[in-house]
Amino acid sequence: MKKPLLVSFLLLTLILGACGGGSLEGEEVTITGALIGSDQDGFRAAFEDFTAETGIIVSYQGSDNFEQEIQIQMESGDTPDFALWPQPGAVVDAATRGYLTPLEDLGIDLDQYQNDFSSYLVGLGVVDGVIYGGANAANLKSIVWYQPAEFDARGYSVPATWDEMIALADQIVADGMNPFCFGMYSNGASGWLATDWMEDIMLRTGDGVDSYDKWVSHDIPFNDPMVKNAATLLSQIMHTENYVVGGTDAIVSTYFGNAQDPMFSKDANGNPGCFMHRQASFITGFWPEGEQAGAGSITTVFPFPSIDPSLPAAALGGGDMWGAFNDRDATKAVAEFMLSAEFYNNVAIRDGNARLSAHTGFDTSLYASPINKILGDTIAAALSANSFRFDASDLMPPEVGAGSFWKEMMNLAVEGPGYIDTALDTVENSWP
Amino acid sequence: MKQQTQQEKLKTIGISFLALGFFPLIWFLFQAILFRELTEIISRNLLVVFALIIGSTFVFLLFWGMDKIIKLSPKDNRESLEARMFAGPSLFMISLFLFYPAIRTLYISFKDRYSNDFVGFENYKWAFSDPEMLVTIRNQIIWLIFVVSLVLFIGLVVGWLSDRLNKGEAFFKSIVFMPMAISAVGASAIFKFIYEYRPPPLTQIGIINGIRVSVDRLGTQCMNNRIIDGVFNGFGDPNCLKPIGWLQQRDLTNLPFTENLNPDGFLSSILINLPVNTMLLMVIMIWMFTGFAAVVFSAGIKAIPSEIMEAGQIDGASELRVFRSIVIPYIKSTIIVVGTYMVVTVLKAFDIIYVSTRGDLETNLLAVKMLDEFSKYRNFGRSATVAVLIFVCVLPIIVGTALRERENTQS
Repeated sequence: MKKPLLVSFLLLTLILGACGGGSLEGEEVTITGALIGSDQDGFRAAFEDFTAETGIIVSYQGSDNFEQEIQIQMESGDTPDFALWPQPGAVVDAATRGYLTPLEDLGIDLDQYQNDFSSYLVGLGVVDGVIYGGANAANLKSIVWYQPAEFDARGYSVPATWDEMIALADQIVADGMNPFCFGMYSNGASGWLATDWMEDIMLRTGDGVDSYDKWVSHDIPFNDPMVKNAATLLSQIMHTENYVVGGTDAIVSTYFGNAQDPMFSKDANGNPGCFMHRQASFITGFWPEGEQAGAGSITTVFPFPSIDPSLPAAALGGGDMWGAFNDRDATKAVAEFMLSAEFYNNVAIRDGNARLSAHTGFDTSLYASPINKILGDTIAAALSANSFRFDASDLMPPEVGAGSFWKEMMNLAVEGPGYIDTALDTVENSWP
Repeated sequence: MKQQTQQEKLKTIGISFLALGFFPLIWFLFQAILFRELTEIISRNLLVVFALIIGSTFVFLLFWGMDKIIKLSPKDNRESLEARMFAGPSLFMISLFLFYPAIRTLYISFKDRYSNDFVGFENYKWAFSDPEMLVTIRNQIIWLIFVVSLVLFIGLVVGWLSDRLNKGEAFFKSIVFMPMAISAVGASAIFKFIYEYRPPPLTQIGIINGIRVSVDRLGTQCMNNRIIDGVFNGFGDPNCLKPIGWLQQRDLTNLPFTENLNPDGFLSSILINLPVNTMLLMVIMIWMFTGFAAVVFSAGIKAIPSEIMEAGQIDGASELRVFRSIVIPYIKSTIIVVGTYMVVTVLKAFDIIYVSTRGDLETNLLAVKMLDEFSKYRNFGRSATVAVLIFVCVLPIIVGTALRERENTQS
């Protein structure tokens, strides 16, 4: 009975659509991803100006179960226009199975794209020489959090090299305090903080990024002397007495989100529990409420110190990447916009935003919080110098990167330096 | 006469095909097409309401239609056809959602990580050789033994004692039963706060560590968490006990009393290697289910005729003797039922581990391992293998229950 109404409605839309002719006014483009909460609001806000300008309605829907949902959607053929994956590995996986459209078919200027986002980052979304993944946001892990006021009050200076950092740590221990905060418990992912340390050290020893890439692709074995050297340096931090607040027990038992809390708590003499905490940029979200506003001023970062002075400065980080499922005109327009330097403009100015553009041409002065500006500059510089590297454990096969590597780092923390060889051999043997 | 039966038989077969095959198929297709069209037209919220109304109407129509068709068949066969009509849909549902997935899981467990190629018994070899998998199986066995026996034992004692109470029995039992009303996720969250650990200079918010770091030990005085001369003393006194990350301890080596134990001795090495975190996680489940067991046992004990109890007492049997020789045999079947329920619950135990440790530091159980292999390591073959293992463990219980059921109906 409602048929006539429906038909007339359909006709009307057809006529209206025909009148629109050529322009993409009113076209809808759907994106799904793992960003939820305030990140989701930010991502949606990024398209406001774009929609006002082109009339293309971009609707983003985030889900904390995104990775499973997109698998089902791909297999049933009911995909959105874009999916934004938290890891490039998933883009490669989807492209290998033939679900994604190459960026070339979307009319993207590939040279420009590689120039803007660095060939390394672009290379993470490549299958058989064809570029499928669009780089988007990045985060930075090669940073050490500290409080400048505490350093100044005691005459400590920010260490630029590993040796300086060790000297500073010894000085702090001699002054009767603990230099490092270190906690790597994380439900179901315990140990990842130590793998991050390993990666940062690997980037700065041996042949730098070259040996790092070989390590990731298993062109050098996991128990190679270079890796062993990195593990030895890490063990120096974990197992030297009084280096870590609470001792070795605390490393294994402390939830990573609480690990920095001792830095904010002063004892009767006004000394903080620790002075340095190496952790990624997103840790600010785990700080006590009152401390979050001080990110970038009261509590700020220095770059992870260099170890081998002959190697160029490197940066470790993570990032997400999108893939497109079709080459409609509206999809092309959105893809082009997402790869432009302006894409993050509306995101950066938001309060509480923790996402950083991976575009090297992005105007970092737009970031609302001072810490994001520092981090954004570091990322852009590292990308331009082609010394930005992606979290190795995310790139290794999951049996290693999310399995034995994490586990053996936990065991290493418990067992002490004598366990290094066993740990590395075990990881090597678990490589599929 | 015989000819007619033959004809009747044919007719019955035709009608049963119509009623149980063709008609439901048409019914299903019609409904599927209708809903596909509806989703295009109306909004999601409205669709839910529609689905409820249309769905239930359709179920009525299905049975009404099948009944109408069956009515056409010869009288003698009608009854068996009616029976099939009622059993049919549920059998169909069970085979679609239970048998089919079970068989397919078994099939996948012989294939590789993406279910492409057959790998024979590779996955099963892995299940019994991979060190992590062995730890998981060890934990599952520890859980089965300790959780089931402790729940039964404590439940029996509490049920028996509460029966002895003169007053306040109902109040006491409702208190003991309360944890059962809390979800496993909630219970795990509560216990996570009890076991919580913070690095030493911080205030311990977990109750066990809170007590640990602020009590005196023999011989030394602990100054933590005290106000001395109007100044609050923090948590930096080295004379106090150190906090312990309870859920991160795989053995007892961090506890002070094990220092004096000889690690080479047989018994003491077992003691030192007790997986503390696994035991503490078992406490959660024991805490949750003891009340349930107690209440069920108490009901069973109440059903014992008082003459038998009195006879025992007159014969001079001690309390313990009455418990052992009268109560236990009398409620044996209740104990078996609760025990069966607990075994199945432990084999399915998922939420406690998932919420508290997510299987880290050797606390994993099979159900969580199954999910890990599926989503973390993306190895469908191994995940299916773990699922099959769980199923194989449950199988004897299903068979046992079925056998007992048969005995009961026969006797």
